[in-house]
Amino acid sequence: MIERVLRRAGWGVATLAGVYVVTFVMVIVVPGNPFASGDRTMPPEVVRAMEARYHMDNTWLYFWEYLGGAVRLDFGPSFQYRDWTCTQIIGEALPVSVALGLLAILIAVMVGVPIGVLSAVRRNSWFDGATLAMVLLGISLPTFVTGSFLLILFALSLQILPIGGWGSLSHLPLPAITLSLPFMAYIVRLTRVSMLDALGGDFVRTALAKGLPRRRVVWDHALRVAFLPVLSYIGPAAAQAMTGSFVVEKVFNVPGLGQHFVDSALNLDRGLILGTVLIYAAILIVFNLLVDVVYVLADPRSRSVAL
Amino acid sequence: MAAKLYATCTALLLLILAMLGFGGGGGFGAGRNRADFAYVNQSGINTLDPAAMTWMQDFRVALNIWEGLTQYDPKVGEAVPAAATMPEASSDGLVYTFTIREDARWSNGDPVLAGDFVRGWRRAIEPGTAGDYAFLLTEHIEGASAYFEWRLSAVEAELADHAQAMDARFAKVGIRAVDDRRLELRLTAPCSYLADLLALPVFLPIHESIERLRVSCSDADRSGKIMLTEQGLVAYDPQWTKPDYREKGYQGLVTNGAYRIEDWQFKRRLRMVVNPYHRDVGRIECDTVDMVVYRNLNAAIMAYEAGDLDFLPDTAVSYTHELVRLGRVGERTDFVNPPVFGTYYYIFNCSAATYNDRVNPFTDARVRKAFALAIDRKLLVEQVLGRGDPPTHCLIPKGSIPGYTSPEGLNYAPDEARRLLADAGYPGGVGLPVIDLLYNTGFDHGKVCDVLGNMWARELGVVVSLRGKEVKTFAEDRKNGNFMIARAGWYGDYADPTTFLDVFAGDSGNNGGGYTSDAYDALLGRARVTADVRARFRILAEAEAMLVREDLPLIPLHQYTQLLAISPRVRGIVANDRLRFSFSQVHRPSASKDSQ
Repeated sequence: MIERVLRRAGWGVATLAGVYVVTFVMVIVVPGNPFASGDRTMPPEVVRAMEARYHMDNTWLYFWEYLGGAVRLDFGPSFQYRDWTCTQIIGEALPVSVALGLLAILIAVMVGVPIGVLSAVRRNSWFDGATLAMVLLGISLPTFVTGSFLLILFALSLQILPIGGWGSLSHLPLPAITLSLPFMAYIVRLTRVSMLDALGGDFVRTALAKGLPRRRVVWDHALRVAFLPVLSYIGPAAAQAMTGSFVVEKVFNVPGLGQHFVDSALNLDRGLILGTVLIYAAILIVFNLLVDVVYVLADPRSRSVAL
Repeated sequence: MAAKLYATCTALLLLILAMLGFGGGGGFGAGRNRADFAYVNQSGINTLDPAAMTWMQDFRVALNIWEGLTQYDPKVGEAVPAAATMPEASSDGLVYTFTIREDARWSNGDPVLAGDFVRGWRRAIEPGTAGDYAFLLTEHIEGASAYFEWRLSAVEAELADHAQAMDARFAKVGIRAVDDRRLELRLTAPCSYLADLLALPVFLPIHESIERLRVSCSDADRSGKIMLTEQGLVAYDPQWTKPDYREKGYQGLVTNGAYRIEDWQFKRRLRMVVNPYHRDVGRIECDTVDMVVYRNLNAAIMAYEAGDLDFLPDTAVSYTHELVRLGRVGERTDFVNPPVFGTYYYIFNCSAATYNDRVNPFTDARVRKAFALAIDRKLLVEQVLGRGDPPTHCLIPKGSIPGYTSPEGLNYAPDEARRLLADAGYPGGVGLPVIDLLYNTGFDHGKVCDVLGNMWARELGVVVSLRGKEVKTFAEDRKNGNFMIARAGWYGDYADPTTFLDVFAGDSGNNGGGYTSDAYDALLGRARVTADVRARFRILAEAEAMLVREDLPLIPLHQYTQLLAISPRVRGIVANDRLRFSFSQVHRPSASKDSQ
């Protein structure tokens, strides 16, 4: 078990290194000068000196310097925002994105799983039909539409929640719910399908035949099996919710990492591009690893299968 | 199973909330109290270093937390004395001695000294700390240019001599603290707009505590004298602009304006509080001012409507024209749309003989003129943009500089345009290559390009290909002359025609089209040595006429406007063409803290 986890972690590090190399190459070959700002031009001597200070004139040196720093979580200075280091910028924004993403996934699981179970149990009922319709909406509506709708409803019309921002509990519900909707829809579908599978299983029939209450059979026996696909989805989904909240962050003015991910690319802010990409990649890798571990703990069958 | 799942989820939920509550979530829990005055900023502060700043939103904060010798007063519409009394010039108009006000104070209580200005201005012309506005000093202050050039050579060459000779060399620059309170300024030429110039951030003083954060190479630490980095730059720890930075005995940013920074969260919020030592502190009504970052202006407008924000200094959204209309018909008097000190125009590539292996037709002034004459600005501004931007045929916004009258430019005259094009050897557009039109994507730039392309196709029979690029690559392409016609625009910095006309000088780094004219440069040179303001303005008007009537390196299209939203709850924010706003002038008639 431990050996398997270590092997997976080793692959994770290798993946991260690959991501670094690819991103670095792209950052170097992309056209445009990161020091060009506004309409005016700097004296070429100063541009050369700045390039020397940031080791931009020596790509190899920059490659190793940055890597050395990144290992210590020091992502160097921001080229665009001279008063800040990339570590400061990421350090302020990352907790926001992580908190928002985790909240969204928790909401998605806590609401999505029971709905999925119920619609499987009451298969082909009006409830099942309505759920399927909602799921379709949840998957196909982009978050900037649902977000704006919630904003207009709860913040402008009813005025019970703030317009946007970050700083108090009342700022949490709208962005978290908006971000959770597509994940929730997917979890409902996933739960429903695997629940239908499980309910047809022999162990369910046996349990019912032994006289166990139907309620217990569904929620304890069947769900234990049916939850496994959901569990393996949660890992990548959590990583995706933390890293892919750019649109939601923009709609609700949440100061997360997504904006820096996009802006740094537009600004050619090399240090920040590399920093955000590495952090995002690390989150994805860690969450996938976590799910693998939890999966093994939750499903005895997988213990004998190589990871 | 279900119960276990819920227990786990709830535990995780509580854990997240607890983490947020105890400050783990990047400033969560802070900033719940609303400032007395809150305004929005879309993109965050780029830098608060006055020597390096270029962006209007950075200027806005800097000019409220620092105070120069003069300061632009939106109510008066011009620069007024601030940290110093207005000096008399010497008879030749070259030497000024400013006296710093006795009650000028830094936010830590220290008196503002003449040396603080010298420090600030010296940083502004040091390679390493110098920014885009360094040219204002090198152009106007005696010896500054020579010093800057000499220092640039340090960046490339031997450093040891440099470090030793720096102070001696700087002594030749026309900035000198005569004593603690008197500051002497020697100019390269008489300057009628000096007061206006000195109100810019690049002329702000810097508190001496910054010297603690000077970055030097290892040699420096041993000798204690050399102050250069390995690259010959003078550099400071960039964290010096932070209010809470405490390294090497640094006590955080000290400023001398009406406000100081209390808290700065990156791209989130910047809080200013009144500087208790400022002489006007008794008259200032808004003790706290928040600059809140909203990347999405739609959300900002909603927050403004809900009363969370008092002022939107920039309201460029897709429905701006509709907001402008509401303001104009009097339905929403809080939306005002003043014309500002800037012009939107297109430039021609005047220098490259060939472009993409074809002859570049725009080296011929007749072709440029023909393209300019084929533009119907009224249609563009009214039917396409609809924001009320005044159409213009000249470079300098009309009436923006007291005493200066711009010449008449070229009006829409398609027949004349076709005749000129035929004269140049392209009758009916025959023989012209496909015209490459470069613009940066975003805002209405693409729309304008579309319309211009259509006008040229219709009136002149040319084929236009549009090339939209993201702003950084656009800037690179334009700088390298990789275009035939490109979008451009310029905002003036000070109340003198040269703030616009210098762009087209042969030696200007901002002259993207590569336009060179000895006659034009000669006019600018003559104006430089003419002390009489009216005679000087006549010469400059002649130069502008050359640009917009004869040589046409550019096609002026319209003057910029900027839609402001000023909440009726506050008074004292005065719309002005420089877009400078003094928060110390804001007052709130209803002192109640709104709906919060």
